[in-house]
Amino acid sequence: MLPAHAPGVYTGAANVIAVLILLAEFGMFRQALLRDQVRLYAAQSALIAVLAVLVGAVRHLPELYVLAAVTVALKAVAIPLLLRRLLRETDPDYLLDTGHDIAGSGGLGLASTVLIGIVVAAFGFFSAGVLPVSGGGAPATALSVSLSVVLVAFVLMIHRRDVASQAIGLFSLENGISLAALVVAASLPLILEVALLFDLLLAVVVFGLLIRLHHGRADTLSTADLTSLRG
Amino acid sequence: MLPIPVVQVLQVVTIVGAAPAVAGVIARVEARLQGRRGPRLLQPYYDLAKLFRKEALAPEGASWVFLAAPVAAFTCYLTVPLLIPVLTTFPLPLGYMGDILGGGFILSLAGFLVAVAALETGSPYAQLGASRAKTFAAITEPVVLFVVFTVALLTGTDLPYALAATVRSSAGQIIRPAHVLAAAALFMVILYETGRIPVETHSGTNEFGMIEEARPFEHSGPYFALLKWGSAVKQLILYTILLNVFVAPWGLAATHQLGAVVVAMIALPAKACVLGALVAVIDNSFAKLRLFKITEFAAAAFLLAVLGVFTLYLGGG
Repeated sequence: MLPAHAPGVYTGAANVIAVLILLAEFGMFRQALLRDQVRLYAAQSALIAVLAVLVGAVRHLPELYVLAAVTVALKAVAIPLLLRRLLRETDPDYLLDTGHDIAGSGGLGLASTVLIGIVVAAFGFFSAGVLPVSGGGAPATALSVSLSVVLVAFVLMIHRRDVASQAIGLFSLENGISLAALVVAASLPLILEVALLFDLLLAVVVFGLLIRLHHGRADTLSTADLTSLRG
Repeated sequence: MLPIPVVQVLQVVTIVGAAPAVAGVIARVEARLQGRRGPRLLQPYYDLAKLFRKEALAPEGASWVFLAAPVAAFTCYLTVPLLIPVLTTFPLPLGYMGDILGGGFILSLAGFLVAVAALETGSPYAQLGASRAKTFAAITEPVVLFVVFTVALLTGTDLPYALAATVRSSAGQIIRPAHVLAAAALFMVILYETGRIPVETHSGTNEFGMIEEARPFEHSGPYFALLKWGSAVKQLILYTILLNVFVAPWGLAATHQLGAVVVAMIALPAKACVLGALVAVIDNSFAKLRLFKITEFAAAAFLLAVLGVFTLYLGGG
């Protein structure tokens, strides 16, 4: 078997950042505290911004710097702040300051979840391999990683039975889509990307309100009780 | 010019001679981080010298295996440095005896022998440690396999010298995700194999959390010294594989001239001490995992190794 050739520093670095974004997604399986979950989401979003700066610098697309700035301002600062505020207003002692435990909300053990995540990520990798997409921005491996991020975010949302993890799962799923957008169409008009970001902001507000409402009614973050509403 | 066989012997001498010193440096750094003064840097050598002068006792009913195992295990540790790039960038003749997998087999043979000796004793703690060590070794094994797969895909062979040469060849080889992920996974396996936080407290006396440390409980005198020395040697061997093959294959001798080899003999322990300091920082910044959470640690390492193969195999990363 022939040795694999080196892909070059830019491609390698972009792929490493993409893989780190995927690892952050896996890291969310592990987080037991809501606060840490939000923090990890902020870190993941910051990685997206770093990748945008890298792609912008190498491909000479200055609008990506703006996108990176907006991403940091919105996803790494504003949304985590907003989420924490919404949750703090719900019940300060119960949720944040005592570090409300969302660990037990998983339907499976951590190791099994990670294994399922690996299988799902493998599916993402394989399906990206057969897509006839030639990347205009970041390298192609990052595209397969972005598909994996989306799929693993689904696993997070499905297996956690608490509202907060499900919301964070949805937001980080959007991070996967941003990653894919950076790969496939780095020069996507800025106004579109910013519109997407504000869409996300709207989703955060809606989700925050839903979380508060649910917590107000059920006095817990768990969605397990909702099953009984099924007809 | 040094004759090649001499360089070959120096590989083993460097590892075996420097291992207690590296262990001493790590213990010292760890103590300083905890605000203690810490033992002397050469303390492990004094410990070994003391133990070699002491009387050896064996529990009643233990067979010859109990006494043979430390010697045989130490022999295994003497063999592995011949297979990996310790001092030179070019492969030495005996380096072709085995690949990374071969080195791994010999290391696990040593672990198996120590476990068998622990079972011989009939002491509950030693047996507990042996059984735990084997149980968790079984779940870190797939990680090592996937790391080897990554190496094989990267270089087309699984000789450690070949990967070291590939890593040195260009910056693109260092930053590619497959390499970074494989190195990270191997580092996590090394934390497990050397009995460090978050898997095991290295220097505690709490038997309930013990894995590797519990195994030599019943050994004494020179046999205990061999086991202690052996575990220090194993630690340095694993560090050498991580450093000279994956992370920092620089400072090795490109020729077999005396000066170059001496530089390499000094560079390796120095690099190992830096890595050891990092391990000591990790030791002091994390809590020990509960025993049944160790599977989660192994799952994380497995995730890294598998993603490494994925990025290589499917995306060309």
